[in-house]
Amino acid sequence: MDDKDRKFMNHLLAIFKVEADEHLKRISSGLIELEKAAPPEMLAEIVEVVFREAHSLKGAARSVNLTDLEALCQMMEGVFAAMKRQELKGSPGLFDLLQQAVDHVGRILPVVEGKRSAKEKALHRELINRLAEAAKGGETGSGISEAELRQAESEEAAGTEDPPPTSEPGAVPPEPPARLPPQQLAPPESPADAAEQVSSPGVTETVRVATTKLSSVLLQSEEMLSAKLAAGQRVVQMRETRSAFVAWKKEWAKILPIAHGVRKLSEKPAEAGAGERFEEIRRESARLLDFLEWNGAFMKSLEGKHVVEAKTAEYDSRVLGGMVNNLLDDMKKVMMFPFSSLLEIFPKVVRDLSRDHGKEVELDSRGGEIEVDRRILEEMKDPLVHLVRNCIDHGIERPGEREGKNKERHGTVTILVAPKDNKVEIVVADDGAGIGIARVRDAVRKLGLVPPEKMAELPDEDLLPYVFQSGVSTSPIITEISGRGLGLAIVREKVEKLGGTISLESQPDAGTTFRILLPLTVATFRGILVRAGEQAFVLPTTHVERVVGLKTDEIKTVENRETIQLDGRAVSLAKLGDVLQLPAKKQDKERSGRFQAVVLAVGDRRIAFLVDEIMNEQEVLLKNLGPQLARVRNLSGATVLGNGRVVPILNVPDLMKSAVMSALPSAGVGPEARTEEGRRESVLVVEDSITSRTLLKNILESAGYDVVTAVDGIDAFTRLRSVDFDLVVSDVDMPRMNGFDLTAKIRGDRKLSEMPIVLVTALESREDRERGIDVGANAYIVKSSFDQSNLLEVIRRLV
Amino acid sequence: MPGSRHRFRLRAAPREERQLSPEEQRRILRERALALAREPEREEAAAGLEVVEFLLAYERYGIESSYIREVYPLKDLTPLPCTPPFVLGIMNVRGKILSVIDIRKFFDLPQKGLTDLNRVIIVHDDFMEFGILADAILGVRLIPVRELQPSLPTLTEVRADYLKGVTEERLVVLDGGAILSDRRIVVHDEAAGGAG
Repeated sequence: MDDKDRKFMNHLLAIFKVEADEHLKRISSGLIELEKAAPPEMLAEIVEVVFREAHSLKGAARSVNLTDLEALCQMMEGVFAAMKRQELKGSPGLFDLLQQAVDHVGRILPVVEGKRSAKEKALHRELINRLAEAAKGGETGSGISEAELRQAESEEAAGTEDPPPTSEPGAVPPEPPARLPPQQLAPPESPADAAEQVSSPGVTETVRVATTKLSSVLLQSEEMLSAKLAAGQRVVQMRETRSAFVAWKKEWAKILPIAHGVRKLSEKPAEAGAGERFEEIRRESARLLDFLEWNGAFMKSLEGKHVVEAKTAEYDSRVLGGMVNNLLDDMKKVMMFPFSSLLEIFPKVVRDLSRDHGKEVELDSRGGEIEVDRRILEEMKDPLVHLVRNCIDHGIERPGEREGKNKERHGTVTILVAPKDNKVEIVVADDGAGIGIARVRDAVRKLGLVPPEKMAELPDEDLLPYVFQSGVSTSPIITEISGRGLGLAIVREKVEKLGGTISLESQPDAGTTFRILLPLTVATFRGILVRAGEQAFVLPTTHVERVVGLKTDEIKTVENRETIQLDGRAVSLAKLGDVLQLPAKKQDKERSGRFQAVVLAVGDRRIAFLVDEIMNEQEVLLKNLGPQLARVRNLSGATVLGNGRVVPILNVPDLMKSAVMSALPSAGVGPEARTEEGRRESVLVVEDSITSRTLLKNILESAGYDVVTAVDGIDAFTRLRSVDFDLVVSDVDMPRMNGFDLTAKIRGDRKLSEMPIVLVTALESREDRERGIDVGANAYIVKSSFDQSNLLEVIRRLV
Repeated sequence: MPGSRHRFRLRAAPREERQLSPEEQRRILRERALALAREPEREEAAAGLEVVEFLLAYERYGIESSYIREVYPLKDLTPLPCTPPFVLGIMNVRGKILSVIDIRKFFDLPQKGLTDLNRVIIVHDDFMEFGILADAILGVRLIPVRELQPSLPTLTEVRADYLKGVTEERLVVLDGGAILSDRRIVVHDEAAGGAG
């Protein structure tokens, strides 16, 4: 088979897997409905559904030449057909057998074209046999036990060949299959199909699109948000330019009368004997005045033009903003999925788990029609499964125990999805034993989460939230599925990452209720942009309680921790830069003795974080950090600002934890550790490559220098004119003005001529070195032999 | 490997040139061109490795082109706190945030020299994607597998698990698959101290 055919076959297989998965899910939930003993009129309908699903699955398997799967589906179909004819009645054993078959298909589906183990083959054959027997109706079928399977397996090993219905797995046909099930044809491509769809009224047309394609479109439309923000920013800049015109007008108004005066003076006829020189001045000043007038008119027309352009830009920005908002709204709708796609897995989860635990549990799930962002559904799957497991494992009691408590034998797990003011609330509840508060108290004490002296006075209701702490488990034994006390911590983290909250209520013997409140979409939220050191960060506004200005004397040290008074309560204070472990450098603060802090709150805990600047509040879009950075401490993602800059978004719950950790040795806000003498030496680093620039900066900063950077010679020279430096470190090869020219320019400047200059360069030739010395560089370091000690050594010698 | 090409040219070239009309010459030249274009491909594709060659800190490295999504100029890099040193930061690639790593630091190679590092090679497989920092891209070339030799400790300090091999001209060919699937490269870090 050549490559093209194989590719085509693989493509078909991929489609088949998606389709088969859907059929299986429907069969499985149909079976559960049947087992629940639905009313007779419903029964027929459900049997019809599972029968059709099994039939379609069989057809699909045949079309991709998976004959062994086809054979199994054939048998399932046979059983359902018998049920349809009412020749066969469902029994627990039969349902077990059918569920086993569904599980088996689900298991081999991902590797459907690969080799199967002997055990799998044995199970496969046994399933076919049992189902065939069951379909005949002679004996009621029953599930296959491990022991039986082992026996079958050894028989298989003894036997030689696979039985006829199971073809060699992995064999793929050389020709593409002649017949495809209708689902595999993309509807819009076939006119007949399209006509059929249009003609069926009341049914919305649908197209199946791969989620990856959809996600990429979403990503790109979200990117339009930065175009919108950028356009807004341009408008702001243009307004600033406009105010510059106002300043000019003021100056112009001041100078105008003077200009008139000069004009009058110069127009007076010259006194006799004023001389040639006076005449000349008169002529020249007339010219100057002419120019001044022309200049005034020119500036005015420029202003007029600017006003028009600014208006257009404002209009464009508004239109673009509206378009982007609409696009994003529609895109969000595209990404909305009903909860039912998530809820449909639970009947099986509940059934399997309650079997395993010997409990009788009924599931009541409602609100499947509520739609939320698909990404939220995806993220919520594991947390919800975990909560339901918790309910069954810890919550619901065994039937006997329940009877003893005068409860119904079977417990109920409820999953309720309901909209709640622009958000969605998910309630997961059980009517079991409730949370053993004594165990929580024990665990909290053992972990030392609360000082022992306060332990006794902690009321029960305040203890409950501790079950979300990692390490707190109420399970006396560690089982496979729960008891390690990690689960609920992870659940809370996921919920919080999505911008939601989780709470719980629990009553002894009445049950436990978890309430999760989630946003409907993940798209945008508001964030406060702050600066710590030289980096900007976004703090989600929902966690920001307030912003406060502080003076040095408002910071008190209590028990070795710095605190501030807020509404009469002490709130601990941490430095954002320290908590994030940013390189300790002149966090420019002491200049005025005034600080800015952001008070962050999670639940009822508050910590004030000192920042170097609070920039603004804006709409931000959370993006994850890519697969390589699965989870980074203190960060929840990043966003792209209107100017294209990528800024990390901080994870507030993490920050609170980190703050507690880093606060142990006093954060030291007041007088900072200064270097030996009063002033630090300052170095200007000129380098066009961002990485080299950062590297040089870091090396020099950790050696105790104040560092300012410039991106090329021109940038550097401008900075040198405005600020005093002790030394310049410059690259040679740069755009606009290279290092040689910069050196020459510095040497030629009266004020700067004595400035020590170190050239760091990739140019290794002797001529280059000589040229560097010719233009007046004090040192010449070749990049290939660069290491930090020789750079620092050279600098130390020069300053 | 270009042996066959030379032979062909030597054998076919000298004889006919004079008496041929321009059309005939053109036809023959075209045929030859076609033949030249086809031959080597068939011979070598079987056991060749298409590799993108790049420069990093004065060393030449290669990585299989099938793992490379694109090469991106490094314009803005946002450093991230609380990440291991080999993570240089993140950048925005058409709306998607990607991390950029310095493989020298990941491999624990000695840091020597100061380099430009203004290219990012975006590597990916089905599960992983990130950018690798490079100084310059030297080009794409086909390396016959038989020319690859297992690395000698003297040739490179990159650990053998990340290497496909080294060519005679000391091109260090990295094993893209091994690097991409290495779990040590994934940062998964919880906030310190749940007790708080």
